[in-house]
Formats: sequence, structure tokens, C-alpha cells
Amino acid sequence: MRALAFAWRSLARRRGRTMLGILGIAAAGALMFDMLLLSRGLLVSVREMLDSIGFDVRVLASEGLPQSRVPLEHALDAARALASLPEVAAAVPFRIGEAEAAVGGDRPPSIAVFAIGSTTNRIWTIVDGHDLPEGDEPSVVVNDRLAKRLHASPGDGIQVRGRCTAGPSILPPVTVRIAGVASFPFESGAQLTMATRFAVLDRLCERPPGEADLIMVASRPESGPDAAVDAIRKARPDLYAFSNDEVIERFEAVGFSYFRQISAALSIVTVSFGVVLITVLLTVGVNQRLGEIAALRAIGFSRRRVAVDVLWESILLVGIGGAVALPLGLALSMWLDAILRSLPGVPATLHFFVFEPRALWLHAALLAAVAVGAALYPMWLVARLPIAATLRREFVS
Amino acid sequence: MTAPARPIVEARGVSRVFPMPAGPVVALRDVTMEVGEGEYVAIAGPSGCGKSTLLHVLGCVDTATSGEVRLEGRDVGSLSDSERSRIRLAKIGFVFQRFFLLPMLSAIENVELPQAEAGVPRAVRLNRARMLLDYVGLGHRADHRPSQLSGGEMQRVAIARAMANRPRLILADEPTGELDEATGEAIAGLFDLLHKDGTAVVVVTHDPSIAARAQRVLRMRDGMLLPPPQNAPQMAQVTQTGNKGRADGGRT
Repeated sequence: MRALAFAWRSLARRRGRTMLGILGIAAAGALMFDMLLLSRGLLVSVREMLDSIGFDVRVLASEGLPQSRVPLEHALDAARALASLPEVAAAVPFRIGEAEAAVGGDRPPSIAVFAIGSTTNRIWTIVDGHDLPEGDEPSVVVNDRLAKRLHASPGDGIQVRGRCTAGPSILPPVTVRIAGVASFPFESGAQLTMATRFAVLDRLCERPPGEADLIMVASRPESGPDAAVDAIRKARPDLYAFSNDEVIERFEAVGFSYFRQISAALSIVTVSFGVVLITVLLTVGVNQRLGEIAALRAIGFSRRRVAVDVLWESILLVGIGGAVALPLGLALSMWLDAILRSLPGVPATLHFFVFEPRALWLHAALLAAVAVGAALYPMWLVARLPIAATLRREFVS
Repeated sequence: MTAPARPIVEARGVSRVFPMPAGPVVALRDVTMEVGEGEYVAIAGPSGCGKSTLLHVLGCVDTATSGEVRLEGRDVGSLSDSERSRIRLAKIGFVFQRFFLLPMLSAIENVELPQAEAGVPRAVRLNRARMLLDYVGLGHRADHRPSQLSGGEMQRVAIARAMANRPRLILADEPTGELDEATGEAIAGLFDLLHKDGTAVVVVTHDPSIAARAQRVLRMRDGMLLPPPQNAPQMAQVTQTGNKGRADGGRT
């Protein structure tokens, strides 16, 4: 009888303990699998969001967090210069602001404002009405939530007031026309969003004309983002250009590293729990059948063979538990993801737990390590078992 | 033509000392003995006199502290653990007082086990296992688990298991110790049968009726072999018949 079949029979003989081991590994494995999904989930999700809007390079006036960045002056001129580079397909100045709707008799809702300094390459998708028109008419596109909140539809005029400092602007409200309703990639579930041109945000917040927070650049497919970044750095060494890869690297290094640390710490805990659980179960099982094992050794089973039997028991326990852990972990991750995504300010398309094939491989590798690690001590016990002394003890007992 | 049996296992000046916290315990003192091919030997003596230790040393499951043990003329003291395992698998069959059948395997699977470990093809070992179960009178219980068998039946299966790889030496440690008198007699009958078929049998026993079946009884006390009584017959002469020895002489 092969060691695998032998181990299977041994486990089937102790059904209660075997089920306990499998359930324990399933629970620990599900948590470990979720930690693997979490460790890179945010990065993968952010990367997908960055890629989804059609820009693969970002140009800033300084490094650092968005809140501490220096505004990019003469952004329209800079964008035109960058767009003329052969590696660049489009360069769109982009500014982020805040406003409130001047709604009579109601608490004014806060609105996130995206202003662009270009007539091409939008980051939003029109779902009703039209995009921002050419010309000087102050117009906006709004998200569906804002349109409903204001009971407005394309063609209607609304009044908005800038909220560019800690409180509302002292400037008079500006009347803008809703050109269309659009969906925006980074908005959270409850966010009210509006997009417009620089001129409107300049009037709302009285900022210097042509100032932007960043320039979003789309590289030419034949050049790619790295070549575009190199060209921009060469053409404008005073600016800071980053490809999506570099942005993600920076996030990974600073912004999201705590997720990785948390998941690493919890993974270590779950792996340790799995090792201890299976080691205890196998050791108890081995200790209960020392006489049998000694007898097997006496009839000619080698040390290696009895140790391999124990290793297979461990592999079967951890393997079955690990397989059960996958659907359990996926279900748990969806639940946890829904909880985290319901936090205020989290973009609706962002996910914290993202499945990648590498998570599956890592899960399998960690479980293999658990199976081997857990089997080491009981394997050592059976391999070092003194045959004669054990048989004598069994007789005396 | 008769000739002295060639020894299948022999001990020369064997001692076994167990280090204990309270001081070393000498289990065997300068034991010299041999078992011829096809011979039937009983080892008797009071509890703790070293019978089982001698059996373990002869069966390569324990090593002598000093002295020499030879199996088929080969010194087993210097062999590695894996070599000793291979020797036990191929040349020695063990029968234990507590049977030590694996409870999750059927009777026939228990008998198959040593053959499977020795790499015997499944069809061959199944045939052999069936034949051995028939031999011990349990062909009809082949698919029964140990928990479904009586003590005597379990010991029969254990004897069949011990015979699985056609060993030339069977070592039995109190094989009737947990059985009633009638069942013990039946098991002893099986050892007689093995002996008649040419297998050397060494039985450790307290039971005088079991010992009386052997050709020779070695008596032990305090780790030493006692000299045979003055009026006892000399060691049985063992005839060589072809490749197999057959018991032919008197008993001690």
C-alpha cells in the first residue's frame, strides 16, 4: 500500500480529529487567502483605475502628496508644448476644486469639481445629454447623483458657489448650464461630481488663469509611457513626469505599504496557527499509535517510510483544508471588500481585495510550507522511535 | 543423510545495557546461542529476565551493547538502520503479543502490507495474502477489519502477516499471552505448522505448554542463559531437506 493511500486510511480512521484539522486549516487558509488578496488588491485596483481613463503619464510641478504639491503655472502652454512631443498623443491640464450648489432653503451640498484645459481626452463618460461644448458659455457635466439631487437635467441652469478655502467663497455664485450627465471614474458612492472648463473654476475660486494641479498625458501607442516620460523630462526638466508604473511604485513604497504589512503580519499569524494546529493533531495521532508504528518498523518499514506516511497525512489535511479555504476566502473577501468600500470617500470602482493568479500560487506555496513545517516534528518522532523500547513499553502498559 | 543445521541467527557474547537515570540496567549478560535453520526454539524465564530483549536483538530491532549478532552468517551490528529494516522485511517475521494489526485495514490488507513495502506487485501479493489467510484458517474473514475479529483470529492474521515475505525466521514475543488456553493451543499449532514447513521459529513464552512444543527451550534468568538441566536431551538434530530444514528431533 502506497504511503498516500496509507495516510488516507489513517486519517479516515480518526474522522473527528481529521475534520477538526481540515476545518481549522480551512478557516486559517481563508484568512490567509484574503490577506494575499488584500496585500496587493488596492494597488491592482488603483492601477486598473489609472489605466481605465486613457492617460498613462502624469506631469506635476512638484513631488509629494497632492495636498502639498505646488500648482503648475502656465499649464495650458505647458500642455501644448508636451502635446507637440512625438511620443505624446495628448496632454490635458487638470485641476481639482470644490463648490457647493446654491440651492435655496436647503443645506448646500458639496460638489467635487474637475476642471480641464482641453477640448479632447475626457476622463468621464457621457450617459445623457452632451459633453462640454466649444465656446465661452459656462457649462458643466454632472454625475447622475448631482443631477438627481438638484432635480436638474441636461439644458437646465444651476447656480454654484466656489468652496476654495475653508469656507464658502465670498464671490457671487455662478450660473452654469448642465450640458450632460456623465459617470466619473474615481468618485465614491455618495460623491456629487461636476466637470467643467478652467474658465468656470477660475471664476468660482478666483485662481490665476491657466494654473493646473497636473497635466494628464496619453503616450502614443508606438512609443509607450516610458518613452513619453523620458521625452517630457528632457523637454521640461522643471516638471515631474511619472508613468502609471512609477505612480504605483510610489504608492507601494509609501501610501499602501501598511496594507502589505498588515496582510504580512496576519498571514504569518495564520500560517503559524496552521502549523501549530496540524503539528498538534499529527503529534497526538502519532503518540496514540506508537505501538503500531514500532510494529511497522519491526516488520520492516523503514524510517523514511513511516516519516513519509506522516508527511502525507499532513499534506492531505492541509491540502483538503486549503482547497476548502479558497471558496470560503473568496466569499469572505467579497464581504470585507463591501464593508471597506462603503467607507466615505472611497471611489466606487476601487476594490481592496482583488484576485490575481499569483495569490493562488502564493496560497498554495504557503500551505505547502504549512504541511511540511507541521509534519517536521511528528516525522522526527516516528523516525527516531526506538522500536524495541516502544514495543516493551506497549507490552508493559 | 543428516547434518547439523546451519545457524540462521547466532549471538556471541551479547550484552545489552539500558542506561537509566537510577543507573544502568543490564538486560542481557554475555549471551551466546544460535538458532539453526528450520529449528523451533522457545525462550522461557521469569518476567524481566531479558527474553524479549534477546528476541529484539536477534530480530535486528535492537542493537547489542557488546557482542556480535549474525544473521545467516552476516554481522548485523554494523549495519545501518535502513539495511536492518530491509533485513527485517525480507528475512524475519515478527509476531507480537498485542498483534499490532492496523485497525483501518482489512485482514487481507494487513497481510499484504509487508509485501507492498517490499515492492511485490499487487496481483502477486493478493494471491499470496489469500493463500496465507487460508493457511491460518481465515480465508473466509479476509475482508474483515481487526475490530471484527476475535483475539485468536487477529493473532492468526498477524502470523499470516509475519509469513508474507517468506521469511526464514519467525520471532514471536508471547504470542499467546493475551489469548485463552484453547485459542493459545490453536495458535501454537500454527507455529508447529510453520516449523514443519521449514521455517525457523523462536517463541518467547511463559506458557510451559507452548514451550514444550519447541525442539529446544532456552531458559533465562537475570539476563543470562541458564545451562540446560543435566537430564535434558541435547540440542535437536535438524535435517536438511533440499533448501528447507525440517524439524525431526526431540524436544527439550
